[in-house]
Amino acid sequence: MSKLGMVFDLKACIGCNACVVACKQENSVPDGIFFTRTLSYEYGEYPNVKRVYIPTICNHCEDAPCEKVCPSGATYTRADGIVMVDRDKCIGCSSCAVACPYDMRTMLDKSALEKGLFGTGELTPFEKQGYGRYTPGTSLKCDFCSQRVDAGLKPACVATCPTNARVFGDLDDPNSEPSVLIRKRGGRQPLPEKNTKPKVYYVE
Amino acid sequence: MSNQEPTQNSLKPGKWINSTCKMCLHSCSTRVHVTDDGVINKIEGNPTNPSNAGKLCPKGNAGILRHYDPQRFKQPMRRTNPEKGPGIDPKWVPISWEEAFDITVREIKKSLDEDPRKILPSLEDFQKMHIWFWPLAIGNHNFYQSGGTMCGGAYHPLNGYIHSAFGAVNDAKYCNFWLSNGAGDGFSSHLHAAAQSHWVAKARIERGMKVVAVEPRMSIAAAKAEEWVPIRPATDRHFAMSMSHVLVYEKLCDYEFLRKDTNAPYLVGPDQFFVRDENRQIYVWDRKDNRAKLWNDPTLKSENMALEGEYVVNGVKCRPAFQVYKDILKDASPEAMEQLTTIPAATVRRIAREFAKEARIGETITLPDGRTVPFRPAAYNYYRGAQGHKSGMMTNHAFQLTNMLIGNIDHPGGRCGVTITDGCVDNNHCLPGECGQMLGAPHQLGHMPPFSWPPNEYHLAGFFPVGVNGPHLNMLSYLEPEKYGSTFKPDVLVNCHSNPVWSIQGPRDKWLQFLREMRFIVCVDVIPTEMTDFADVVLPSSDYLETYNSVMIEPPYTEGICFRQPITPPLYDTKSEEEIFFEISERLGVLDQYNEVINLILGFNQKPHLMLEPGKKYSDRDIAERVGLLWNDKPIEWYMEHGHSSTERRLDKWYRPWDGMRLLFYIEDLPFQREQLRRQFEEAKVPFRHEWPFDDYQPLPTNVIDPIHKEAKEYNLYAITFKDIQLNFGESLSIPWIKDITYRDPVHTGLLLNRATAKKLGLTDGDIVLVESPYGRLYGRLATTEAMHHETLGVSNALSRTKSENRSALMAGGHYNDLLPYDMRNTDGATGQPETSCRVKLTKLDDWPDFLKGGSTVYDYIDSIKNAKGKGGLQ
Repeated sequence: MSKLGMVFDLKACIGCNACVVACKQENSVPDGIFFTRTLSYEYGEYPNVKRVYIPTICNHCEDAPCEKVCPSGATYTRADGIVMVDRDKCIGCSSCAVACPYDMRTMLDKSALEKGLFGTGELTPFEKQGYGRYTPGTSLKCDFCSQRVDAGLKPACVATCPTNARVFGDLDDPNSEPSVLIRKRGGRQPLPEKNTKPKVYYVE
Repeated sequence: MSNQEPTQNSLKPGKWINSTCKMCLHSCSTRVHVTDDGVINKIEGNPTNPSNAGKLCPKGNAGILRHYDPQRFKQPMRRTNPEKGPGIDPKWVPISWEEAFDITVREIKKSLDEDPRKILPSLEDFQKMHIWFWPLAIGNHNFYQSGGTMCGGAYHPLNGYIHSAFGAVNDAKYCNFWLSNGAGDGFSSHLHAAAQSHWVAKARIERGMKVVAVEPRMSIAAAKAEEWVPIRPATDRHFAMSMSHVLVYEKLCDYEFLRKDTNAPYLVGPDQFFVRDENRQIYVWDRKDNRAKLWNDPTLKSENMALEGEYVVNGVKCRPAFQVYKDILKDASPEAMEQLTTIPAATVRRIAREFAKEARIGETITLPDGRTVPFRPAAYNYYRGAQGHKSGMMTNHAFQLTNMLIGNIDHPGGRCGVTITDGCVDNNHCLPGECGQMLGAPHQLGHMPPFSWPPNEYHLAGFFPVGVNGPHLNMLSYLEPEKYGSTFKPDVLVNCHSNPVWSIQGPRDKWLQFLREMRFIVCVDVIPTEMTDFADVVLPSSDYLETYNSVMIEPPYTEGICFRQPITPPLYDTKSEEEIFFEISERLGVLDQYNEVINLILGFNQKPHLMLEPGKKYSDRDIAERVGLLWNDKPIEWYMEHGHSSTERRLDKWYRPWDGMRLLFYIEDLPFQREQLRRQFEEAKVPFRHEWPFDDYQPLPTNVIDPIHKEAKEYNLYAITFKDIQLNFGESLSIPWIKDITYRDPVHTGLLLNRATAKKLGLTDGDIVLVESPYGRLYGRLATTEAMHHETLGVSNALSRTKSENRSALMAGGHYNDLLPYDMRNTDGATGQPETSCRVKLTKLDDWPDFLKGGSTVYDYIDSIKNAKGKGGLQ
């Protein structure tokens, strides 16, 4: 058993969004949808101003509200902690999207698959080979690149990140890279008051 | 998952092929996955290359969508609509390659037979220098491509003087204090962006390297820095000199290095030249024996060389070069420079002291190769934003002198020269010059053509003996042919992977007219651009996932060849650039000349068995194979397997490659070049000889104020433009994924103006404004922020597209480059580098002008993202 999770190093992140594009190419993500994002916030007053780049992703919560509200059992948690969606069971009710306090669920609109990335109505060979995994009307989200993980690889966003701002591994293993980082630099979970027990942490 | 088949692209049945990225001009190593059905579905970094270490930037991650862009040129095409203009449909008709070559060669040949100078080349494939230098085969030195001065126009020649190298980088492997002045290295752009940001992040996270960023806009570097110091645009030289003032007057320099490893002790006379004996040997002052000695006097010890003082040698009053700079710096105190830079003097003094302290002057380190060398883990990094100003050569020199004063040049942790390519693995790039000095090598991309009057080059390159090609200067010959002595007018444009319509500064309407007057334009390209809107014939090239190439192009910490190979056969009826240019050369009857040019440019003449033979045409594969063999004698099969021969830079070529020679603290070649050029101007009676900016050639920088600061007062703001990592070095905004990330980043969604300044001017967030400079105008929408210098408007490059046939690249309200001057008043006489910031005024408008009301501008797109439901909105 393990508890796979991710740590975002806010000091390392340069907001380049290589992660976002890597995710889109690995998962053939339809137009307008993001499984991961990097946000940019300014704070302070000139000239004492700062900007922080904040990567976001499905937090694969231990007490996942999306899983609790899912009426069809489409949302489930794997033994290794990855929160998954079975598109064949998903009835497209949007409960998960409403329940997720992090706004990490997207309902797939048919038009995204039809218009294509270039908006021409014709799909590129890249899209044609990739869109088979999607069913319009179902709920989409990040699955930590579960098939890559099963193959012993890191999620695509982690693998490409130039600054190693995304650290992935088993949070149950005290010696794993993310566990060490959380311990050493005081990892914080997003919206802890929601009691969802996110498996995603931030270090500054 | 409902089925067992892999749905993630990298796990689908297929194979991985090692190759090289070309989504910018650099060359990160990739591994590309192609499915059993022949579809490219994943590009990753190749972890075996110690440069990018498996990492890729967003552009590198987006190459698939360039490959499968439905707007790619699919076969040769000929225009049928005689009307040319931005976004006007050329009404292409497909033609055969045979017809395309026929027309192209016929039209080029008309001009070639008449006067080869009537051909205007614009060949920008930075990974294929052998294409770039094709014009030499027809005896042509014109230049219209988009790089050059909007890149490092003054940066490269000065690096050539200081490092004998094309580029330079702070050594992230050891650096602990990284001063970033108007630069993206390590954070957002420039040298191998994914690689550099990787190593710089490691230094920041693992070693706690401190970063201080000095720039008008809080860029990514400043966002990650411990301290952001806002500076008024075009005063970077003055900041650098105020830093140097503190180092010199508070005696914080590495005097041992200056005495032993530089020409700072060499004695300079009142004429700016060194004081020499009858054999042209240079004098220094021996402060122990209290008399002048020749630099190579066996009784002279470096520790006795005077750096300061005033002396008389052979009746000539003289000072050591160091003293000359010290005297110049007297007027560059932080207090005096604050008036110009707006940086509080106390801030400069604090940063300068910390810079010197972190340099650990006196400490050494023993390298794995056994050498013990100075350890200087502090360095001043600068690039496009800081260097792109009127007095470019002096400006770059001022930056490097700040480094040189603390003794960090080519030392661990310091400022290190980065060669563009070494050719063969054993080549060192530093050569001895006269009197113990290293040979200054400003011509890192080849020598400029010799002076001629009337000028042989439409862009006046012969007037810039140590500069780079300034494409904006074509406008001078075009608009004032009599004044600039133009005896010919280019009428054929040969364009390859270049977009000068978008990239060159100056008035767009006049540039467009310039193009309309061309008799014939041929464009070699992959997708439509602002430039191909003007083509008469398009020769479609295969893309980087369909061709071979071998290149080493200024990797920061590594050396070796990055190898590109086809992942799939060409999707369409396209050809490699090599096929196209060998064919054109043969049909023009200049194939032998072209092969000679390539032997020289790619260095095949260093290994005679690799030389191209007369009368033979070669493929992209042939050239790639030879470049690999030249480097390390490995056959192409080896490169096809490994994808690169990249290794960490060899220590003897990386640290102190000039060991035993003296670096050029004082660049005597600059006054020498100035006087020679002045004589040539006088002898030829060049009519504008009295207004030519000869004063820009100085052996040491001065604190002269650039003309941008003297514009009419009504232009009450400055303006700058910027790119980030996803826009770096080339077109990417036509790629949906790049648009996705760019227009969700607040800095690319509006013209950036300091919030308090906006309030003072009666403006507010979201206002539509007209931006006017003394030279041009654009429209835009304000995004107020705390992260801009209080006098400066920031215009993202993503908000500078104009209408074009490429429907994916969204037009904004004009182009930043329209705001910029193209004249000699604002061009560095020494390098050709033009001013790239400007003065502007803002006028609030009630609504967009009519031509921007169609609902198809970049601002409409940004609104559609903001208004989108669910995912993807600005949060």
